[in-house]
Amino acid sequence: MSGQRVDAKVVMLGKEYVGKTSLVERYVHNRFLVGPYQNTIGAAFVAKPIHVGEKIVTLGIWDTAGSERYEAMSRIYYRGAKAAIVCYDLTDSSSFQRAKFWVKELQNCEEHCKIYLCGTKSDLVEDDRSMRKVDFHDVQDYADEIKAQLFETSSKSGHNVDELFQKVAEDYDQLYSFQQMTEEKGVDLCQKKNSTFYACCHH
Amino acid sequence: MSQKSERRGIHVDQSELLCKKGCGYYGNPAWQGFCSKCWREEYQRARQKQIQEDWALAERLQREEEAAYASSQGAQTQPTLAPFSKFEDKKTNVTTRKVTTVKKFFSPSSRAAPKKETQEAKAPSPSISRQSSVETDKVSRDFIDFLKNLQKPGRDIHKQCRVFLDTMANKKEVSAEEQSEYVQDFYQNVAEKLQVHFKGSSDRVERVMDQVEKYIMTRLYKSVFCPETTDDEKKDLAVQKRIRALHWVTLLMLCVPVNEDIPEVSDILVKAITDIIEMDSKRVPRDKLACITKCSKHIFNAIKITKKEPASADDFLPTLIYIVLKANPPRLQSNIQYITRFCNPSRLMTGEDGYYFTNLCCAVAFIEKLDAQSLNLSPEDFERYMSGQASPRRQDQDGYLSHVNNSPSLGQAYQNLEQLSGLGERQERVLEGARRLERDLIEWSDGVAREVQDILDKYPLEICPPASAIDSDNVENDRLPPPLQPQVFAG
Repeated sequence: MSGQRVDAKVVMLGKEYVGKTSLVERYVHNRFLVGPYQNTIGAAFVAKPIHVGEKIVTLGIWDTAGSERYEAMSRIYYRGAKAAIVCYDLTDSSSFQRAKFWVKELQNCEEHCKIYLCGTKSDLVEDDRSMRKVDFHDVQDYADEIKAQLFETSSKSGHNVDELFQKVAEDYDQLYSFQQMTEEKGVDLCQKKNSTFYACCHH
Repeated sequence: MSQKSERRGIHVDQSELLCKKGCGYYGNPAWQGFCSKCWREEYQRARQKQIQEDWALAERLQREEEAAYASSQGAQTQPTLAPFSKFEDKKTNVTTRKVTTVKKFFSPSSRAAPKKETQEAKAPSPSISRQSSVETDKVSRDFIDFLKNLQKPGRDIHKQCRVFLDTMANKKEVSAEEQSEYVQDFYQNVAEKLQVHFKGSSDRVERVMDQVEKYIMTRLYKSVFCPETTDDEKKDLAVQKRIRALHWVTLLMLCVPVNEDIPEVSDILVKAITDIIEMDSKRVPRDKLACITKCSKHIFNAIKITKKEPASADDFLPTLIYIVLKANPPRLQSNIQYITRFCNPSRLMTGEDGYYFTNLCCAVAFIEKLDAQSLNLSPEDFERYMSGQASPRRQDQDGYLSHVNNSPSLGQAYQNLEQLSGLGERQERVLEGARRLERDLIEWSDGVAREVQDILDKYPLEICPPASAIDSDNVENDRLPPPLQPQVFAG
């Protein structure tokens, strides 16, 4: 059975073929497989322990199906997630429009979920600037607006991949210790968190 | 005087110290001058005598009383009847006591009794309920054994669980949501206490919590699974009907990346279907989750074999949907609701089991909402398939897919038939060979017999008359030395 304990749930969101799975695969196994099925590498669930200072935070990384036909169900996926990595393809502007859709969904349904925007395939853009279809500054403005972090990564070269997940783990740890601190003062944030847990269990 | 003074002095006459009975041992004033042994004998005798006297007295008194009674009543049978009626009295007393003990036997569970009745009303056969109670007993025993290792906190947990089960037994009428809340609160309370006891070792807390969940939910299962206060059962039937109506959905429509023509893959898919169906037979939420996880692992394997690569969520979800459609698992909604309500939340929300469970929820949601667009079909086609006016299989036959592709069992049947006919052919050949061999053997033995006969005919057996004497034709007999004579040597 899956015995591994997981501290936080992190969902990967994004259109098909933007490279969600490759990103996870690169991060967890430090590899990038080239082939016709680049989008289907790696298992869909990974539990990854990450060192944050002296502590270890275990992230449960959930891959999701990006196809539009499952759009209605995406809400079930990110229920209770502590963080969401919303991916878009730097060479595909439509993928960024889809990313905006997920951000809106998350803002509406999971206010406790921290959002990370992730532009993938940055190696392609670096090789050929004309390939870039999503402007960095536009996205940065958008990210500021929604209070999200922005990363541009390449699963092929590994650029910025570790940084992204490290940041997710650090932010979670910070929030968690803050919660514990306030808890000692007598404000029971943990309790509140759990009651929202139940609320979203019953649809 | 002198005697008296002597007595008053320290000197005591030897004879006075001895036992009065003269047995030679010393006596004691406390035993009235007897030695211990003689005193006991004496005392016993006296007591015996007294008892006998008392008894005699009592008897005499009774006789007098009886005589007085008889004379007043004038009937002699009465005294014999009295003890009989007393006996009767006693008998009824015994039976009533028996009744009360039986009542007492049931009374501890009387709080749970109404629940039991409803259970029995629901249970299809008594043997099943008995079996389940055996299972419950086993789980209780295991739980107690497990808690024994924890010593004091173990006892506390056991007490807490008992109290909780009792309160739950009184709360059968509340809604499923409230029941769920009670159970979740209980989990949280126990977990917090354990956290303190184990000083934050969450692994150990988790292990104990698993056992607590197992114990509590095995006990509560019957009253909280698919309760009458909810419409779970109605939803179950709706989903079941829906899945039946969607029997025509093919791998291709769902973009399922597995190839059922590979025997290994179709075997794995059958295993996945078995696992998801098995979920309904488990009682503990965690065990149900384990079934989903097992099913999911099989699906990943099937995809891996087909695509020669590990699978992603984009492959997994459609395949899971396909498996659910093929399996049509019993009481699917009830099971999902039961798990969400009563599973330990930490497991459900974050861990690997939770991931697969979420995917199953997605699959069911997809199946419920499924329309023409989600299968890449025109609305007209979808309608026709749903109403059963047309089957996609026939069209596929004309198109690029053979019917075998769509129905794995049919394909399997064809394959089996082919194999069977092949086997038949081979058996024919074997039979043919055997017959030929038989023929050859007969021919051969006939041939041998014939040859032997020929030879016999050609060279008939001539029996020569026996020679008259062994040495008769020996001419040079005379020249031989005389035969050796035995000689006797003396000494």
